[in-house]
Amino acid sequence: MKEKLQPFHIAILVYTTQAGIVVFTLPRQLADYFGTNGWLFLLVCYLLSAGNIGLIALVYKLGGGRPIFEILEQSLPKLILYPVYVSLASVWLMFGCMIGKKYILLFQMISFPTTNPMFFKLAVDVLIYLLLAKGIYTISKAATLFFWMTIWMSLLLLWFFPSFRWERLTPFLLQGGHDQIKGGIELYSAYLGYELSILFFPYIDKRKKAMLAIQLGNTLLTLNYLSLSLICFGFFSWGQLKKLIYPLLDLLAYIQLPFIERLENLLYGFFLFLILITVVMYWWAAEVTVMRIFPRIKKKGLTITLITVSYCISFIPKTLDEVVSWITNLGYVTIGIAFGLPIVLILVLLIQRQGRESRA
Amino acid sequence: MPFTDVRPHEVKELLRQAPVVLVTDAKKVIEGIVNGGVAIFHDGSTYLLDLYSPESRSVQQSETETVITGPHDSFVESLTTNLSLIRRRIKSSHLKIIPCSVGEISKSKVYILYIQNIANPEHVEEMRKRVQRIETDGILDGSILTQYLEDSPNSVFPQFMITERPDVAASKLMSGRVLTIMENSPIVVSAPAAFFEFFASPDDYYQRWALGTALRMLRFMALLITVTFTAMYVSVTTFHYEMVPEALLRTLAESRSRVPFPPVYEALLLETMIELLREAGARLPTKIGQTIGIVGGIVIGQAAVQAGLTSNILIIAVATSAIASFVIPSYMMSASIRLIRFGLIILAGTWGNMGLVMGIALIIIHLSGLTSLKASYMIPLAPMKPSDWKDVFIRAPFSMLTKRPTQVKTPNSTRQTDKKQE
Repeated sequence: MKEKLQPFHIAILVYTTQAGIVVFTLPRQLADYFGTNGWLFLLVCYLLSAGNIGLIALVYKLGGGRPIFEILEQSLPKLILYPVYVSLASVWLMFGCMIGKKYILLFQMISFPTTNPMFFKLAVDVLIYLLLAKGIYTISKAATLFFWMTIWMSLLLLWFFPSFRWERLTPFLLQGGHDQIKGGIELYSAYLGYELSILFFPYIDKRKKAMLAIQLGNTLLTLNYLSLSLICFGFFSWGQLKKLIYPLLDLLAYIQLPFIERLENLLYGFFLFLILITVVMYWWAAEVTVMRIFPRIKKKGLTITLITVSYCISFIPKTLDEVVSWITNLGYVTIGIAFGLPIVLILVLLIQRQGRESRA
Repeated sequence: MPFTDVRPHEVKELLRQAPVVLVTDAKKVIEGIVNGGVAIFHDGSTYLLDLYSPESRSVQQSETETVITGPHDSFVESLTTNLSLIRRRIKSSHLKIIPCSVGEISKSKVYILYIQNIANPEHVEEMRKRVQRIETDGILDGSILTQYLEDSPNSVFPQFMITERPDVAASKLMSGRVLTIMENSPIVVSAPAAFFEFFASPDDYYQRWALGTALRMLRFMALLITVTFTAMYVSVTTFHYEMVPEALLRTLAESRSRVPFPPVYEALLLETMIELLREAGARLPTKIGQTIGIVGGIVIGQAAVQAGLTSNILIIAVATSAIASFVIPSYMMSASIRLIRFGLIILAGTWGNMGLVMGIALIIIHLSGLTSLKASYMIPLAPMKPSDWKDVFIRAPFSMLTKRPTQVKTPNSTRQTDKKQE
């Protein structure tokens, strides 16, 4: 029997896909775009993402757990669908690729300024290939292990309790921000990753509460973001937070033990585990979509081709700024897909249902 | 009276001391002789006597799996003795044996043991298939047999548990696992096995639960130390000096000031030295082995530092890693972990902390893909089974260990009734 994804693993998989590179800049972005007590905006993001997951759950319910490709192909001609598949796959492939590149560039900036970042990218891509080649069930197992190896870091926030001051949060709400719409979309990309759960349908055990698990993964992420941002706002103060490029790294650098300090050097590495899963899931989504166009293609060959293509694309943006703007633009499209795809599917399903009823 | 004068109906009467059968098939006669029997050809009939009683080592203490308290007997090279050692512990008619044989030339007997209604029939069937699928001239030991049976023979990690201890074998049977034992080998193979199972020792159960739990935790700490300690030293002293607090940095700089090599060479040199010592100690007779230990101790401990080849802090790191690796009860697992450590040291020497983390990610990815008899190897962490944690990461009191491990997918998961529920 083919192994199915259990609810716990779905929750962890969603959480680890969502948690990624944005966490380094998140508190600063919140302070910068939304001003004092900007962390409150996370609640808006949470509600939006929860609503989006609700749409995905509706697709699951209306479609009776059928894979989304099957639903689409039942009603729409392949001539329309295949270009859509290609676009979906390319956006997901490039989004994953740029997240990987941003992590590498950041790390290069911290520790290895003279080494060519593409060497590191190659090494990370090999790791991702090894994971991707084993399929979704192994990815979910690896995600669970990586989850345990990173979640303990949340406990490090306790270290900042003694230096936390409520007065630094100020009594003002969302004052002093700018470009809220642009910032809002940028920040919302910190939540992206849950939308890939729409592709999990064929791997879900139908008897279990899989949709609730997706919500739980999203909630866990929000709690994590909230606690981090709250600590940042109460530890650094709003004015200071706006000026820090990577507040999380500054936060980690504050931890000093008698035998070790500047922990950000080591702990930054631990985020690789989360980045790996984020990238691998986007590439997995791209792979599944391309497989739908070429069902007879050899999976191994396809995986290698996709990773090679994305590796070549990652040569184009050279600097961190360029990568960030790629991620921002791709983020817009991905958010569009996150909301658009379930809505289209719901419409298609409703039309299909209407068609069935009129025939009956 | 000479045997030639004996009449056919009197033969059985004369040979009643030994089990004797009248054989008419030539093949069976050859098989009987090859298996240590005696054939008597008399008056056109052939009698086969089973007089097979091979010399074997007496039951002694295991050298690789020692315990402080608890039974000290261990398996020997005789299949019948090994079976009796297990039967003495499990006097149940549910203990079933499937006889097989492996090796085209050696024709070694292999028995698959399981407890009916506790072991998963799919596991038993899978094991039987795998044993029957082996096509080779001969297999000489259980530890070779396990490499033929494992799911991923190319992996560095052992996927089946092997043991020399009858008490461990009996406990594996009762937890629903399938055992494979073969003649002329004191090694018993237990499957399926999980990665964390290799960190348990029978002593955890023979001692009180609090101590057992502390020991388990100590071993997982040892795993962390042995995998990362030397690599961390290399990474910090090569790339991330800023991670060392000032007071410690002074000591570190002082000890490294005379060393002419980069830390990664220094670490590899010392690690290789320790491995040489370990291997020499393992191959030599005990008395000379001790000499090697003393010589090695002096060379590594003092001479290397005085000569300026290594820093004494590295010696502490390498020695701690080595000791920690020997804390892991399974020799197979401890050897695998020592091997991967070399890879991590090289990665840490090339890319610092990031190399180390990439190495760890590689290990995790590899481990999550492994299976043991088609069951997940990383259970109870991935897939997550919190109910198993109390007998994996800690050793809870026996009153709480009411269920069999999830990995075996046993049809009868209850080990004992929960007294609290009664």
